[in-house]
Amino acid sequence: MSGSDLFTGTLDLLILRTLRAEPLHGYGIGKALREQSGGVLAIEEGALYPALHRLERKGLLEAAWGKTDTGRRAKFYRPTDNGVAHLETESDRWAEFSGAVSLVLGR
Amino acid sequence: MGTPRDPREPPSWPFERVPPPHVSGDDDARAEIESHIELLVQELVAGGMSDTEARLEARARFGDPAAWRKKTHRTDPRRQGTMTTMMTRILQDLRFALRGFRRNPGFAAMAVLTLAVALAGNTAIFSVLDAAVLRALPFPDADRLVFINGVHRTNGEEAFRGASPLEFRDWQARATQVDPVVTAMGSTFTLTGVDQAQRVQGELVSEGYFGVLGGEAALGRTFTDEEMTVLDGSFVTVLSYGLWQNVFGGDPDVVGRTVRLNDLSVQVVGVMDQDFVGANLGSQLWTPFAQFGLVGNPETLQSRTSRWLPVLGRLVPGATLEEAQAEFESIALGLQEEHPRAHEDRFARLVPFKESYLGTTGNLLWILFGAGLLLLVIAGANVANLLLVRAHARTREITVRRAIGADSGRITGQLLTESVTLATAGGVLGLLGAGWALRAALPLIPQGVLPSYAQPAVSLRAFGFTLGVLVLVGVASGLVPALTSARRDLATTLRSGRGALTGRGNRAQKAFVITQVGLALMLLVGAGLLTRSLRAQLAIDPGLEFEGVHAFRVQPASERYPDPEAVRIYTEELSRRVAEVPGVSQVTLASDFPLRGGSSGAYAYRPDAPDERIRVHWHLIAPDFFDLLQVQVLAGRSFTTADDEESAGVVMVTEAFAERVFPEDPSPGAVVGRQVHFGDPSNPESLAEIVGVVENVRYRNLTQSMMDGPNSPDLFIPMAQFRPRTHEVAFRVAGDTAAVLGAVRRAVNEVDSSTPPFGLASLEGLYRSQTAMPRLAAVLMGAFSIVALSLAAVGIYGVLTFTVGQRGPEIALRRALGAEASDVARSVVWDAVKLAGVGVGVGGLAAFFAGDLLEALLFEVQAGDMTTLAFTGVALLAVAAVAAAVPAVRAARKAPADALSAE
Repeated sequence: MSGSDLFTGTLDLLILRTLRAEPLHGYGIGKALREQSGGVLAIEEGALYPALHRLERKGLLEAAWGKTDTGRRAKFYRPTDNGVAHLETESDRWAEFSGAVSLVLGR
Repeated sequence: MGTPRDPREPPSWPFERVPPPHVSGDDDARAEIESHIELLVQELVAGGMSDTEARLEARARFGDPAAWRKKTHRTDPRRQGTMTTMMTRILQDLRFALRGFRRNPGFAAMAVLTLAVALAGNTAIFSVLDAAVLRALPFPDADRLVFINGVHRTNGEEAFRGASPLEFRDWQARATQVDPVVTAMGSTFTLTGVDQAQRVQGELVSEGYFGVLGGEAALGRTFTDEEMTVLDGSFVTVLSYGLWQNVFGGDPDVVGRTVRLNDLSVQVVGVMDQDFVGANLGSQLWTPFAQFGLVGNPETLQSRTSRWLPVLGRLVPGATLEEAQAEFESIALGLQEEHPRAHEDRFARLVPFKESYLGTTGNLLWILFGAGLLLLVIAGANVANLLLVRAHARTREITVRRAIGADSGRITGQLLTESVTLATAGGVLGLLGAGWALRAALPLIPQGVLPSYAQPAVSLRAFGFTLGVLVLVGVASGLVPALTSARRDLATTLRSGRGALTGRGNRAQKAFVITQVGLALMLLVGAGLLTRSLRAQLAIDPGLEFEGVHAFRVQPASERYPDPEAVRIYTEELSRRVAEVPGVSQVTLASDFPLRGGSSGAYAYRPDAPDERIRVHWHLIAPDFFDLLQVQVLAGRSFTTADDEESAGVVMVTEAFAERVFPEDPSPGAVVGRQVHFGDPSNPESLAEIVGVVENVRYRNLTQSMMDGPNSPDLFIPMAQFRPRTHEVAFRVAGDTAAVLGAVRRAVNEVDSSTPPFGLASLEGLYRSQTAMPRLAAVLMGAFSIVALSLAAVGIYGVLTFTVGQRGPEIALRRALGAEASDVARSVVWDAVKLAGVGVGVGGLAAFFAGDLLEALLFEVQAGDMTTLAFTGVALLAVAAVAAAVPAVRAARKAPADALSAE
C-alpha cells in the first residue's frame, strides 16, 4: 500500500461507511462525518467531491439526482455491491493499520 | 456479499428521481456545487440567518470550488483562491487556534508569558536606545556637527584638554573642512536682581554659534557681529525659554531689561526658542565669548597655553570626518612648528556630536539591545519547542486531516496561525509590560548615564519595532514545527516505524536547545565580564573616608571681591559660619574636591633635571583638608596655618608622585625634604620643599591609573600661598543630613546672598555616580542572563521530557533486559549534558569573538577572559544536568513491565 493510496483509501472508507447507513448527497456526507467524529473530521469540499467522483468512476458508488426531505434538488450517492465489499475488506485492514499506528505513537 | 441490485429500482433509494437541474455550461459538477450551497443556505436560514447573509456565509464556507473542480475536471484556471476565501481560511484557522488554546491553557500561557517577558524587555530597551542613540539630536542636520577636542597626544594616547583661546582662533582661521568653527564655553553665572539670587548654567559663545546649532530667538534677537567681536565693556545676554518662564515669569518686556550676572549689569537682548538647549544641552543663558570680562580676566583671551575651551563646528558639505580630521592633523603640525614649546604634543580630535554626548552610554545601550535580541531568540526557541511538542502530540490529528484532504499548505497555515496568534498575544502583553518596565526602570538609571535630550517612552517607533520583531518570532517559531508536521505523513510514519518520529522534529528540537544554550552562554559571559569589571572598580580604594563628607562650591564675584585678601576674608567667614551650624563637625576649604571629575594640570620639574617636564595635577588646600578626608600622611607633616604667603614655598605630594618623580628612591621618608619646581624651572621662586607625603587619592576618574596616560600624580599647595577664586567648602555632617544641609545653605546665604552655593554633593554620592555606569551594566546584563539561563533550562527540560516519553518503550525494554534504573537516568542526563556541551562550544566561540564589543565597558578584565568563559561554561553544563534531573528520574521509574504491556 503506497502512501497516497493510504490517504485516499482512508477518506474512501469514511465515505463508504457513511453511505452504507443511508444514501446521501455530498453536503449530507460532510455533515454526517463531522457529527460522527465529534467535529474532528471537517472534510474539505475540495477533497470530498473529487473522492465521490472517483469512487463513482471506479464503480464503488453510484449516483443519481433526487429530492431531499425539504424538496431541494441534490445529487445522491450510495455504495454499489462492489463498494460494500470494498468497505468490508478495507475496514479490516484499517483496524490492523490503526492498531499499528497507535503502537508507534505509544498510546 | 449480497446479490447484485438493480440500480434503477433500489429499495434503499427512496427518493424521487429528478433530472439534473439545468445550469449554464451544462456541467454536472457545477450543478452539484450549486445544490451543496443551496443546502447549506437552507440550514443557515433555519438557524436564523437572513437569506442574503446565509448566501454570503455559505459561499465563504464552501471555500473555493475551483480548487477541487480543477482536480477532477481541470476547469477554469483563473478561478484560483480569491481574497474572500483567503480571509475565510485565516478566520477559520484563527477560530481553530483559539479553540486549541482553550483546550490547553497551560501551554498557551507559558508561550505567551515567555514571549511577553522577552518582548517587554526588548521594547523597553529599544525605547531607550531610540531616544538616546537613534533619534536625531535636537539640532538641525546634527550628523554633520562635530566637537573639535584639543588633545595632548603622547605615545599614541590622547588626553582631552580643550583648546586655548589663541589655538581656537588659529583653527578658525585655518580650517576649511569645518565651517564655522565656534566655541561654547560653559560657565556658571550668579544671577541677581531677580527674586532670589541663583546660579544659572550659561555658555559664552562665539560668532556663528546660533547659526551652526540652528538656534532662533523667540523674542528679541541673538547677538550681532559687533557684540560677538568688539570689547567695549558692555554686556548682553540671551535667555533660554525656560529661564524666561521660570525666573522672569514669561515677562513679554524682558528684552531690553537689565539683569545682574556675576554682579555686573547685563542687558537682555533676546529669548531663545523653547526647544533650543545649546551645545551643553540645557544652558539657561548665553553671552558673547568676546565679553569674557563677565566671567574672568579678558587678558585670558590672549593665552596660548591656557586650555579649556570646548570647540565645535559643522563639516562643510561634501567633507567627511576623516578628511576634516586629516586637515586638523596638518593644522596641528603647522602650529607645533610655529610654537614649538606651547604646542608640543598638541593635536585636535574630531568627535561627532552624538558620540561626544553619549560616550560609553552608546556602547552600553547597543550591547543591551543586542543582549535583548539574544534573549528574544532564546524565548522564541522555547515557544517553537512548545509548538513542536504540541504539534507532535497532535500528529494523529494532523495526519488524519491530511488524509481527508487538507493539503500541506493548509496545515502549515494552520500551525503558523497558531504561532502568530501566540506571538500577537505575547506582543500585546509585552507592549503593556514595556511601558510598565520603562516607568519602573527609568528612575533607577543614574543621572548622567543618559544625555539630557533623551526622554525614553514607548513610542510609535518602539511599537513598530515590537510589531516587526513579534511577527518575525511568530513566523520563525511556527515555521519549523509547521513544516515538520505538514511533511510528516502517515505512510512514512508507518513505513519507517518507531524511528520516524525522532527524525526531523527531534533534530529541530536539538538545534533549538543548542542555540539556546549557546546564546545563554554569550549573555552569561557578558554578564560575568561586566560583573568582574564592576568588582574590580569597586575594589579600588579611593583613599578617602566618605562618612558624612559633603562639599559645595562658591565663586566670589571679582567685582565684589577684587583681591585675594577680600576672597580670604569672605571664605574664612564662610567656613566659620558653616562650622557653627549644629550637626556640622569639621569644615575645610580647597580649590577642588576628589571625584568631582576635573582638576587642573601643570608641569613640575626636578631642580637637577630642569628639561624634563612632569605633568602633575595640583590642588590648593587648607591645612585640615587631609584630616577631614582622613587621608593618611605617610611621612613628614601636613600644612599648618604657618604655611602662608610670608613663609617659604612648601608642597605635599602623593605616593604616586614620589614614584613618578623620584624613581631612584620613592620611599615617603626619602622624599620628604626634597625640592621641586612647580611652574617655571628657571624661576627660583617656583622652588618648593616637599614637607609631606600622603597616600594616593583618587582625585579624578576612579578607573584611571594613578600615573599613566591622561592621569598624572597629584601635588598639594597650601591655599594661603596661592588663592583660588572658586572654592570648595567641605564639611562633615552628623545626624539629620537634610536638615543640616538646609541650615548650611541658609548660613551661606546669610554671609553673602549674592554668592549662592552650588554643586552640593556628598562624597559618597560622587563615588556612587562614578560607579553608576558599570553597576547599571552589570545589573542589567546579570538580569538578562538569569532570564536566559532559566529559559534555556526550561528548553532542555521540555525536550528531555519529550524524548524520554518517546523512548518509553525502548527504555522499558532496556530495563527488562537488565539495565539498572541508575543507568537509564545517567543516560538521560548524559544526553542533556552532551547537547548543552555542543551549545557551550558554539556559544563560547561566539562569545570569544563578540567579546570585543564589550571592551569599551570593561576595566581590568580582558574581553576574551578565559576564567569567565570556563566558569560560565561549567555553570551552564551544571544547569543542563539539573534540568535533566526530573526527566531522568521519570525515565528511571519506568518499570520493565511497561515494555511488555506496550509492545
